[in-house]
Amino acid sequence: MRSSNESGQAYAFMAMTPIVQGEESDLRSYLEGIPRSSSPLAKLPRTHFARWVILEEFHHEAGQRRREQLKSQYLIFTSNFDGPLDSYLDELGEQLVEEAGEIWGRCYGCPRPAAGAPLKDYLLHNQIDTGLFFAAYADATVERVVASLDQRERMIDFAVETQGLTPNELQRRFRQEFCP
Amino acid sequence: MFLLRRLRPDPNSPLVRLSFIHFARWTVVKRIPHNEGQPREKLRYKHLFFESNFNGGWEEYIDAFSHILTAGMTKLWGSSYGFPKPLPTAPFKDYIRRNEIEASHFYSAYPDATKSMVSAALDLDQKLAAFKARACDLEPEQFSREWRAFLTDVQADL
Repeated sequence: MRSSNESGQAYAFMAMTPIVQGEESDLRSYLEGIPRSSSPLAKLPRTHFARWVILEEFHHEAGQRRREQLKSQYLIFTSNFDGPLDSYLDELGEQLVEEAGEIWGRCYGCPRPAAGAPLKDYLLHNQIDTGLFFAAYADATVERVVASLDQRERMIDFAVETQGLTPNELQRRFRQEFCP
Repeated sequence: MFLLRRLRPDPNSPLVRLSFIHFARWTVVKRIPHNEGQPREKLRYKHLFFESNFNGGWEEYIDAFSHILTAGMTKLWGSSYGFPKPLPTAPFKDYIRRNEIEASHFYSAYPDATKSMVSAALDLDQKLAAFKARACDLEPEQFSREWRAFLTDVQADL
C-alpha cells in the first residue's frame, strides 16, 4: 500500500534530529556557509528540492495554556526526491560522507563515522511521516524534468531560427536537432 | 492525521490551481524520536509542519494561497492555536511570519525553472514525441505544413 510519504513516484522524506548542546551555532554557520551553487545535495541526482532547517523553539501562540519548551534544538532535513526511499538513503550515505559528519555529526546519536548503513539507520530512526504530500508533477523524475526543460529551450530557439526556411531545409534541420 | 489523509489532493483540487507550487507537504509532529544522549523530549502539543517549494514572491504566494485555497486552509490550519483564518490576508501573513522557520540551506535541482515552465516542458515533451513519430518521414512540403500546425498546437508550452 502506498504510504502518505509518496505521490506518484515522488517521495517526501523528513528527519528531525536533536542537535548536541553547544553545537547549534557551529552547525548553523556550516549550513549557511554552503554555497547554493555547490550544494552537496547535487550529488544526489534524484533530489528535486531539499533543505536543512534548524528549529530553535516553537512560537507561542495565544490560547496555548502552556509554553512548549524544547530541551534541544533540532535539525530538520527534508527532501522531495524520486523514490524509493531505501536506495536514496543508500546513495546519501555513500555520497555525503564528507558533509554528513559536519551536519548530522553534530546531533545526538549520530553514528561515527556518519556514513553508509549506520547513517541510513539513524535517519530512518528519526524519520517523521508526512501527513499530506502534494507533488505537481509526481510522475516526472529529476532527469526527465531537466531533459524536458533543456528540450523546451532548444525548441524555442529552433522555432525562431528556422522561420522562413524552405521545407527541405526545415525538415533537414529538424531531423538534425530532434531526431538524432 | 485522518483529516490530512482525507484531503489527499487530486488533479482537480485547488492545490493544482496554485500553479507556482512544485512540492508541498503537511506533517503532524506528534512525538520526537529519542536518541542516545539526548535530553528526553515530551511534547505538550502536536505541531503542524508545512513545507512549500514554490516560485515567485512570498507576498504573492500567500495572497494566492489565501484566495484560492480558502476553505482548504481553514481545514488544514483550523485546529492550530492562533490561526486567524486565511482572509483577510494581513493577519494571516503575520501568523505565518511568526511561525516561519528560514532554511539554513536550500537546494533545487532546477532553480531557474518555474513550476509553469516545468509543466510546459513536460507537456511539450509528450507532444513532440508524438509529432516526431508521425512527421519525421513525411515529404518536406507535408512536413512543413505539419510543423506549422504543431507550433500552433504547442504555442502555450513555449
